[in-house]
Amino acid sequence: MAGKNKTTSFDALVIGGGIAGGEAALNIANNGYKVLIVEKDLSLGGKMILLSKVFPTLDCAACITTPKISEISRHHGITIFTGTEVQNIVKKAEKHFRVQIKKKPRYVIEEDCTACQLCEQACPVVVKDEYQYNLVGRKAAFIPFTIASPRAAAIDIENCTLCGACEKVCPTKCIDFTQEEEIINIDVQTVIAATGFSLFDPLRIPRYGYGKYRNVITSMEMERQLAPTRPYNTVLRPGDGKVPDRLAYVLCTGSRDFTTGNPICSQICCMYSIKQAQLLMGALPMADVTIYYINIRSFGKGFEEFYEQAKGMGVNFIKGKIGKITEKDNGNLFLRYEDINENKLKESEHDMVILSVGVLSNPDNALFFNGDKLWLDQLGYINQPEPLSSPAETTVKGVYVAGSAAGPMDIPDSILSAGAASAAAISYIIEAK
Amino acid sequence: MTAINTDFGKDLSKYGAFDFNACYNCGTCTAVCTLSTEEDSFPREMQRFSVLGLEDDLKGSLKPWLCYYCGQCTTYCPQNANPGELMMSLRRWLISVYDWTGLSGLLYKSLPATTAGMILIAAVVLFYSFSVDFDLSRIMHTGHTFEIIAIVGVFSIILLPNLIRMWWFIILKPRIQVPVINYLKALWDLIVHMFTQKRALGCDDNELRWFEHFILVLGYLGLLFTTVFLNWFSSDSVFVIVMGYIVSIIVFTVTLIFVYDRIRKKDEISKYSQPSDWLFIIWLTAMGLSAFIVRLFIDTGLLENNKWLYLVHLIILAQWALIIVPFGKWTHFLYRSFAMYFHRVIS
Repeated sequence: MAGKNKTTSFDALVIGGGIAGGEAALNIANNGYKVLIVEKDLSLGGKMILLSKVFPTLDCAACITTPKISEISRHHGITIFTGTEVQNIVKKAEKHFRVQIKKKPRYVIEEDCTACQLCEQACPVVVKDEYQYNLVGRKAAFIPFTIASPRAAAIDIENCTLCGACEKVCPTKCIDFTQEEEIINIDVQTVIAATGFSLFDPLRIPRYGYGKYRNVITSMEMERQLAPTRPYNTVLRPGDGKVPDRLAYVLCTGSRDFTTGNPICSQICCMYSIKQAQLLMGALPMADVTIYYINIRSFGKGFEEFYEQAKGMGVNFIKGKIGKITEKDNGNLFLRYEDINENKLKESEHDMVILSVGVLSNPDNALFFNGDKLWLDQLGYINQPEPLSSPAETTVKGVYVAGSAAGPMDIPDSILSAGAASAAAISYIIEAK
Repeated sequence: MTAINTDFGKDLSKYGAFDFNACYNCGTCTAVCTLSTEEDSFPREMQRFSVLGLEDDLKGSLKPWLCYYCGQCTTYCPQNANPGELMMSLRRWLISVYDWTGLSGLLYKSLPATTAGMILIAAVVLFYSFSVDFDLSRIMHTGHTFEIIAIVGVFSIILLPNLIRMWWFIILKPRIQVPVINYLKALWDLIVHMFTQKRALGCDDNELRWFEHFILVLGYLGLLFTTVFLNWFSSDSVFVIVMGYIVSIIVFTVTLIFVYDRIRKKDEISKYSQPSDWLFIIWLTAMGLSAFIVRLFIDTGLLENNKWLYLVHLIILAQWALIIVPFGKWTHFLYRSFAMYFHRVIS
């Protein structure tokens, strides 16, 4: 990437390198078009690459994601910019978008890095590892995670002390502190927005005590504890490192709740909680797992059977939303709820609580178009003017939406949505040629 | 089998109830309520009964009276179904259910009817005063006699039969077997709750509100006692006069605070005011204030030239005694205490 303000051209721009963006990029590139993927993060794979297993088949998420990601990385028709954000898009004419992107410096020459991890060992700075959802630490010179793509080191410049230890040990001399932010202009014919979703921050519900009670964690933190690349190699509660015996899931944390500003169903929490409960029954055979729910929404193919399977395995399901959580001296937690089937207020004790946090729209959905504005719906998802007949269309012709940028969606639906978006994008390129 | 009665919801909404059909039965309201217990879990059950229109179950339930409206349920309700205001509306509805005359329901639901009743009473008072040529001493004498007759009459003709009806709905109709000794054992609870509203302290951060209400009840009972039984306006006893001043100041100061709270709408309890709520606190303020000024004018010798002032006080008093006390919000004083009493009797 030599020089600043360089203009290059591609057939399609895919914003977001998660499972939806990746799938869409592959489809378009397989049809012989040149695709650019712009990914904000340091690795492709989005949220899915960090998951343990997926419902309702209990397939390993990494085993699905990694081959796909490596296919994307090796594809001749696909160019990938990681650590890069789209700043502005101007629609000059039909099939001509001028896109301004900002590439943040990695301070590592990606192509030269062999991922030998010597820099990681040499770096004296330890900070929280965001890819392990803060369960463990990482260095300021680091490879984001084991199965990251590109598998190359990066320097976290905000925490770096500029001691130079990494530079000294690097065998390929690929660490380069002189890198600067680049602004690149590209011309594309079509754009796919696959910006994904964000997770509800449970700090916004203080009565659940997240952040205050250490044994109250989010579902994504539990996901990491159950993943093949998990940090502790077992499931531990963060308060004292004890193996938990009685775990509770609090469904609808930040979903279907007007008071948190997110009145809609997140569509995935019931199923991922049931999945985690099944995995926990395997990881901790003696543990009791209870799921507190309002309604179990198991609407997809094979989902209801998956729910029945969990019940058969001994997962407890209690109808009633948790109202309040209080902590005991030993770190155990009291959950106050109304057992709806019995019409009775109850309190139960658990030693670990997992908040099944909901899905919110990604603030990055607010793409900046000059001239044509990309409409978002009330909750910040990308607006689909024709959700039934052409779900991939947005309010701007030539811009298509894929995956959970359009609304809460599970993995099979995201892949389907990416297929629809790529087909629509290809049609748009071919149209009136 | 239960038949669903959707008309009930329409009727209940005239008492102020909110969008209780929005409820999706998650139980958050019950779980955040500090007064809810395993034996008495509310408000979700009441919400459910209201949606289904199970009138008989609601008539026999004490749960609306067990709630002291801290508003947590409304704050945290994920569906904005406002369970707190539903409980309040159920209390209004229950007051009309207990009332054998049916006037409570009419006055709660119809502001024009209430206004007409108030005007009628004012007209009668004015007509009587006109008929005695505005002779102040005669009016004051009649006023005092009226107070005593009103208290005895309202209690024996309206309130006592209503309390018996409440007893019937709660205990007799559902055929709850209760040993007679329980009625005696629970008497202490009746007195405690009537004079202290102790249970309201169970609500979160409710100490100040409880204290204001407690002082108001004492002030009100004190005002009733000094004006009616110690004949405050005609008394020469310094003790009675000073006590009258103190209790009337208490009554109008605390009610002014409540009026201010309802205008400000900061807390859940003061956000949704029905005409019956306004009437209750404004008339209480006006009673305290007018009684205070009347006595002040007596003590400064100004009343003889300002007869209208006593007339205003008498009109307020008559409206209070004949509308708000027997048929309006005043009755919560009795029903709440008796609800706690019956609750103890049953358990």
